Amino acid sequence: MLTGAELAVVGFTLRIAALGTALILVPGILVALALARYRGPGKSILETILALPLVLPPTAVGMVLLSLLARRGPVGRWLESAGIEIVFTWKAVLLATMVMAFPLLVRSARTGFEEVDPRLIGLARTLGCGPLAAFFRVTLPLAWRGVLAGTVLAFARALGEFGATIMIAGNIPGRTQTLALAIFQASQVGRDDRAQVLAGVTVLLAFVTLWTAELFTRRRARRTAT
Amino acid sequence: MIEIGLELPLARFSLRVDARLGDGITAIMGPSGSGKTSLLEAVAGLRPRTRGRIVLNGTTLLDATAGVRLRPEHRRVGYVPQDAGLFPHLTALDNVRFGARGATDRVRAAVETLELTPLLARHPATLSGGEKQRVALARSLASDPRLLLLDEPLAALDVGLRERIVPYLLRIHDEWRVPVLYVTHGVGEALTLAESVLLLREGAVEAHGPALDLLSRPALSRAAEAGIENLLTAQVVAHDEEGGTSRVVLDDGTSLSVPRLSGRQAGDAVSLAIRAEDIVVATEPVHGLSARNVIEVRISAIDRVGHDALLYCVRTAGGRPWLVRITPSAVASLGLVSGQAVWLAIKSHSFRVL
Repeated sequence: MLTGAELAVVGFTLRIAALGTALILVPGILVALALARYRGPGKSILETILALPLVLPPTAVGMVLLSLLARRGPVGRWLESAGIEIVFTWKAVLLATMVMAFPLLVRSARTGFEEVDPRLIGLARTLGCGPLAAFFRVTLPLAWRGVLAGTVLAFARALGEFGATIMIAGNIPGRTQTLALAIFQASQVGRDDRAQVLAGVTVLLAFVTLWTAELFTRRRARRTAT
Repeated sequence: MIEIGLELPLARFSLRVDARLGDGITAIMGPSGSGKTSLLEAVAGLRPRTRGRIVLNGTTLLDATAGVRLRPEHRRVGYVPQDAGLFPHLTALDNVRFGARGATDRVRAAVETLELTPLLARHPATLSGGEKQRVALARSLASDPRLLLLDEPLAALDVGLRERIVPYLLRIHDEWRVPVLYVTHGVGEALTLAESVLLLREGAVEAHGPALDLLSRPALSRAAEAGIENLLTAQVVAHDEEGGTSRVVLDDGTSLSVPRLSGRQAGDAVSLAIRAEDIVVATEPVHGLSARNVIEVRISAIDRVGHDALLYCVRTAGGRPWLVRITPSAVASLGLVSGQAVWLAIKSHSFRVL
């Protein structure tokens, strides 16, 4: 049903999505926590900036990344001197998915953290927990629903990333081609049958991802039934 | 001994408390919004803006000028907030275990003291208000605190006696020997449980001393108008199955007849409550009365509480005073004066078992 090359694309897409989600998980949780707790000035500006990639055309985000990473760009120059090549490699695919998925993770996790009564954290402290222990024993278990939802959304978003990826990673079969790019290419060259199969695979992957999370959430919810 | 000299800016005023509190139970009273909860949180270390000094039995928890500010996790101060603050994702047992660091003996003892065995598997959402408070108290005790801070909302509400934390507080005081700061609106509790009362008003200490001395203060007498209860701790002596009563004895040797105490055995401790207005006063020994209890006492003082008169009556043997609330006209027509011997008559059924 799937050719060897297509299977490789599916595998590559899954690996990139999983790795990208894993890499943004800890920083995403930290940023979400900071936003949930921070009450000072500039909070709304910070939140708006973080939400921007959600509403911008992904190609625009890709363009920003590209100008940063280009050989003469501020980051690119430094990377070149360090001998690191990103643009038009799998690392660029990873970067694009991370940038696009990050705000989704933060948004959802932040909501989860905001729902945790800060007094419970204070109480955990009076019961002998340091800040870190209080986070792992109280904050995270109470916010896990939001964190999980954010992680799943981020992974699903990473699976389907197209615009930013094509800008900074191109569409190089065997090197930077993900499912979304492969669908586009198959359709461009008139292989609508292959494009349909690949689209079907994408739908299936997204469905399984969301459904698994849903089942998991339900089972946990029943255990701590209110 | 707890030495407190702290200042904490609040929204409408600053909380300023200078007091030396004893190792027993200190009741913190005062109108809503007078800073009672803020005081507890400051002592627990949950208010970073607190300045001043807090020294608990020689351990400095806070000394702002010397730069000492013990983190809450190092203070070993147990805090039970108004809503109990249980962790909703944990069962009652896991809540109690939370701060125990594996000290199963303490967990077991705390569960026993607060009688939590039937509740252990349940999640907080399924517990009643009083049950939550008991779990939260056990959670604090199991963490081996040097001081307990208890913010009790239930005393102010008209809740069932089973919901009341008082009998457990007595047990904690007797068995665990932990000093307690106890926010309450119940004058009866302050009178019978507390070594002293710290009366707050707009963040300042309006008065501090034994509850009896403070009863004439407006804040206390207003609370007293809602009802004063005598709270007693007694020991079961015997049951009278046919008479439908049980006999108990107080610490001072007074023997009382109370409603049949089912499920308690001779020697068991029991907490009883009797409302000050449910006690009848006679100037001579009374006979031929249906009330099963007649106690000879001496009036040590007569005060006003709202529109009523409040008698403080002590037994010759000593012990806690009995509070009796009667109308001023009864005082006048009986010619009651301080120092006079009187007899208190109490129906068995007026006693309520806590």
